[in-house]
Amino acid sequence: MADTTAELLHGTLVALILKTLAGGRRHGYAIARAIEDATDGVVEVEDGSLYPALYRMERSGWIEAEWGVSDLGRKAKLYRLTPRGRRQLTAETAEWARFAAAISHVLLPAS
Amino acid sequence: MRFDSWPWKPRVDDEVDDELTFHLEMRTRELVERGMNAAAARREAERRMGNIDRVRAACRALGEGRDRHMRRVQYLSEFVQDLGFAWRQLRRNPGFALVAVLTLALGIGGSTAIFSAVYAVVMRPLPLRDPARLMVVGETVRDMPAMAGSVSAGNYVDVVAGTTTFEGIAAEQFSNVNLAEGGAPERIVGGRVTANFFDVMGAHPIAGRVFRADEDRPGHEQEVMLSHRLWVRRFGESASIVGSQLRMNGTPYIVVGVMPSSFDLTTDTEDLWVPIAFTDERKAQHDEHYLTVYGRLKAGVSRQQARAELETVAARLRRDVPKDDLEVGFLLIPFTDQLVGDYRTRLLVLLGAVGVVLLIACGNVANLLLARGAARGREIAIRTALGAGQWRIVRQFLTESMVLALCATGVGLLLARTMLAAVVSWNPENIPRLEAARIDPVALAFAIAMAIASSVLFGLAPALRLSKPDVHTGLRDGARGATGGGFRDRLRAGLIVGEVALSLSLLFGAGLLIRSAMALQHVNPGFNPGGVLTARIALPAASYAEPDRVVAAFQRVADAAREIPGVTEAAVTSNTPMAPGGGSNGLIPEGRPLDLKSVIQSRLRMITPDFFRAMQIPIVRGRGFTDQDRRGAPKVMIVSAAFAAEAYHGQDPIGKRVVCCESGPNGTPDWKIVIGVAGDVRTDGPSAAPAPEFYLPIAQAPPAAWEWVQRSMYIVVRTGGSPAALTQSLRSAVARIDPDLPVFDVRMMDERLADALATERFNTLLLTILGVVGLLLAASGIYGVIAYFVSQRTQEIGVRMALGATPGSVVRLILSQSLRPVAVGAAIGVVAALAASRVLTAQLFGVSRTDPLTIAAVVAVLVAVALIASVVPARRAASIEPTRALQAD
Repeated sequence: MADTTAELLHGTLVALILKTLAGGRRHGYAIARAIEDATDGVVEVEDGSLYPALYRMERSGWIEAEWGVSDLGRKAKLYRLTPRGRRQLTAETAEWARFAAAISHVLLPAS
Repeated sequence: MRFDSWPWKPRVDDEVDDELTFHLEMRTRELVERGMNAAAARREAERRMGNIDRVRAACRALGEGRDRHMRRVQYLSEFVQDLGFAWRQLRRNPGFALVAVLTLALGIGGSTAIFSAVYAVVMRPLPLRDPARLMVVGETVRDMPAMAGSVSAGNYVDVVAGTTTFEGIAAEQFSNVNLAEGGAPERIVGGRVTANFFDVMGAHPIAGRVFRADEDRPGHEQEVMLSHRLWVRRFGESASIVGSQLRMNGTPYIVVGVMPSSFDLTTDTEDLWVPIAFTDERKAQHDEHYLTVYGRLKAGVSRQQARAELETVAARLRRDVPKDDLEVGFLLIPFTDQLVGDYRTRLLVLLGAVGVVLLIACGNVANLLLARGAARGREIAIRTALGAGQWRIVRQFLTESMVLALCATGVGLLLARTMLAAVVSWNPENIPRLEAARIDPVALAFAIAMAIASSVLFGLAPALRLSKPDVHTGLRDGARGATGGGFRDRLRAGLIVGEVALSLSLLFGAGLLIRSAMALQHVNPGFNPGGVLTARIALPAASYAEPDRVVAAFQRVADAAREIPGVTEAAVTSNTPMAPGGGSNGLIPEGRPLDLKSVIQSRLRMITPDFFRAMQIPIVRGRGFTDQDRRGAPKVMIVSAAFAAEAYHGQDPIGKRVVCCESGPNGTPDWKIVIGVAGDVRTDGPSAAPAPEFYLPIAQAPPAAWEWVQRSMYIVVRTGGSPAALTQSLRSAVARIDPDLPVFDVRMMDERLADALATERFNTLLLTILGVVGLLLAASGIYGVIAYFVSQRTQEIGVRMALGATPGSVVRLILSQSLRPVAVGAAIGVVAALAASRVLTAQLFGVSRTDPLTIAAVVAVLVAVALIASVVPARRAASIEPTRALQAD
């Protein structure tokens, strides 16, 4: 299982986090779960790289955090998308589409 | 979202720990739900996290960075908010803004202008390679290191041979040349230099080359280097100048190179250079001192090391050449110091004075801010109620101060440019390098630094005072309840004390300079400058080689000048007072041992007999020269009163013999007879005491003397009419004798005298202006504070008047209270002024730096001005209707 996760392409994690948070605020673990669920477990987020990515995105002003209460009543740090983050999501999505189309064009030529 | 609106925000370390712990727990819980046992689930969760220590460290570092960034962003956004708010505040109070900005602009503009001058003259590095290592080596006699004297060729050669601490040592003889090429014949300042001169100075030519090592040997000195200035002025920047031929003093020279404009170090440095050639005979010469010697220290060598080495050379010279060097020593002065001279102190004094004006201006603005702050109590109360802390409000006030100061800097820079342009174009005393002073980026940086410093200075105290939440009500109650004497408001009283003390010091300095200037005006220079025109001529050595020809030519010039209509007296002299040129000789009166210890160093003037009448210098004993004092007749001299006093201590000098200037046959002493004593002349300007001088008739001048003065003499003519009108006829008279002789440096004696006083006048005027500006600022400050106090005490005054106080007694009461801080300030100011006047010592003449009369006058002026500034509000208070005063509030 660990072998398939290594393929998470550079930059995609940020796009996935932004997309996940577009649906509402979440704590770190919930973000990881949401990505795994949404990809039917194909993409498994490496927890060790999730958090540095989150802190970096906070610094960039794409997401901001506040302390709230989790579903289970625990105190948790909740992230949410900022307007800048929303713009970034649009940009990254467009970039991904361009990239994926280009790769598909090579690997799956229309016959 | 505001960053500090997270009152519950944990420290970054806790934030990371909590978040990661929570994550691991949740992951473990998830795996257990999927059927793993607890221990395996925990292990799997940790495996997916990877190296948790590394993740934690990375997150902490990123978190810190994020917080720093957000604090900066927030600070900036608040700053921008504050700026906008400050700007609106100023726009809302245009009167206040105008007064504050203009007051500060005066201070900031003034200090920036003076700073630019200081920077250009004193601080700007010379455009030479490593200028700190460039030194001037001067000779001293008798351990008197006052001035670096010129060096003899023999001593120069010995210094070069006896030192290892210098990279190179060059010598230069300043020498004027007549240049005929490229325009009308002209007298040009030149330097005869050793071939290594330009290397030692650390400058490279922009065209051609410098002198080669073999070009300063006798018989080879036919090359010339041009200054950039001369190349532009006289040869129109001609590209083909290198290699072309110039005739100077009648001799042809080849131009080998042109120096860059940066090597025109000052406006009056050399215009060209030719090689100097020392014959072996010259190199053995130790008693004629005419060389300026430059040495470039080797890297890493200290001045002390070089000095020690020079002292070794001097000791050897004292032993080996006792005849000429019995008491010789060497002095090592950085070239920059030599170039800038004592202008450093003068300019720094001015900078200090203008800084004091800026301080007084700050005091005034602080007072204005306090007054306006009282009106802003409500605004501050609201902001405090909305959660702004004291520091936040202080920051807001300081931002406002900074906006004020920066506006003032804008206006101040315009002022500075005008002031600087005025000072530079005036520059009557030819301060070196001042012409390059301008408002450049360095000056701009200085102005902005001044603005920021002063905004803190005038803004901090009011900001701290006004930001205290309770101060407004407290203040008002205190003021209203004050029925006893004295001001309760120490801050405002302190402002008065400071402003009075500062402006008193400033006025005292100005007062001392004014008194010096007055004393200088009344000094008798020893001659009558009115109606005298002076000019210089120089005979080229090529066509006037023999001394007899030189003497005859100058005699004819004197005779021709006397024939000019309107001229009553005319003479030729090797030197006139307040003018360059002329050397000095060592004289030994008969009866003293013939060694160096007996020498009286005296300035020589070689003159035609009518000189004393033309200058109206009195002959106080004996007689003047006549045409009979010619070659072959007994050798005679006239000495000055100062020489007579030093040589003869009250005995009659007439008929005494003096040895000087040359050797008789077979090296025997050459005696001259004193036939008269002339009145003393203040040759170096009215502020310098007369030094020993002596006169020789040009007909009996030692032949070598024509080399000493380079065949250059002054024509002096006296007229009953306007001297300036004689210029043209004087030129034509000289042209009739020899059309190739340039007549230069034509000045009225009055002008020369005025120029000698220009430095003093310039400084006096500037410091007086600063003193008056400071006084006016202080007066307006005192007025502001007293007016405020009076308005605060309207009610109390009303009560007093209702109880029967007369308007007169109210005025007296207010004056007596307002003058208390003035008196304290004056007392402090007197002490400060007496201490600070030390920096003026060198500029004072005929007045002590602690002059009690000046102190008294300055204190009187200041107290009078303070009185006037207080009387206006005091009288307003006394004219209040008691009933209205009681109704107020």
